[in-house]
Amino acid sequence: MPRYALTSEPRVCVEIVSAALACCTLELQAALGSGVLVESTELDASPSVIVIAGTVTDALVPSVMQLIRAHPGVKVMSFGACATSGGPYWDSPPVSKGIDQFVEVATYVAGCPPRPDAFIQAISDLACSEDA
Amino acid sequence: MKHSFIALIEDKCTSCMLCVRECPAWCINLDSHTVEVTEEGARRPKKVNVLDSFDIDYSLCMYCGVCIDVCPFDALAWDEHRALTSTNREDMILGIADLRSSGNA
Repeated sequence: MPRYALTSEPRVCVEIVSAALACCTLELQAALGSGVLVESTELDASPSVIVIAGTVTDALVPSVMQLIRAHPGVKVMSFGACATSGGPYWDSPPVSKGIDQFVEVATYVAGCPPRPDAFIQAISDLACSEDA
Repeated sequence: MKHSFIALIEDKCTSCMLCVRECPAWCINLDSHTVEVTEEGARRPKKVNVLDSFDIDYSLCMYCGVCIDVCPFDALAWDEHRALTSTNREDMILGIADLRSSGNA
């Protein structure tokens, strides 16, 4: 699991587990490569974040939940409209209408897809709130 | 211009519902009522819509801009970038006050 630190605040360290489900993942990669986050070697990184990026179909819910349960105490970030509410697929029967039906979500990021800076803001807010 | 926030110019909105019906994600909620207005010299009073509430659910919005394109009165516009993150899904539904333009497109 790669650890990241905010370049603006190297003290704040996050571990990110990405559940790459659909196109939002590409935007997440763009955010991770934007230079605002750098890979960190610090070992005492505390908050761990799971980013659910993309459409969660009902068939995928068990796998997603398995991933989340594998990391107890993890903060769940709902990245993009699909993970948050079903997004454009809100009326599609096989698509779940938001992962908050299954797990407590710490941060929602709006967008379809969210812009990289929205992700950076969300991860900073999350990390800093944990820090405080 | 960044496609990152859709602002409502309240005064221009006629509550025609075009944006609500054209939105592919159905993320706009609009409520209005009708009042009769008598203008001086007019033969009869005319009915106008008064906007009561206008909500965009940013947890659903695709930022496609269809609402901006279809609005005949330019009451919706791209606006200065605001990264929308929230700890609460209900907070992502923005009403008239939160949708006001910052003046910097």
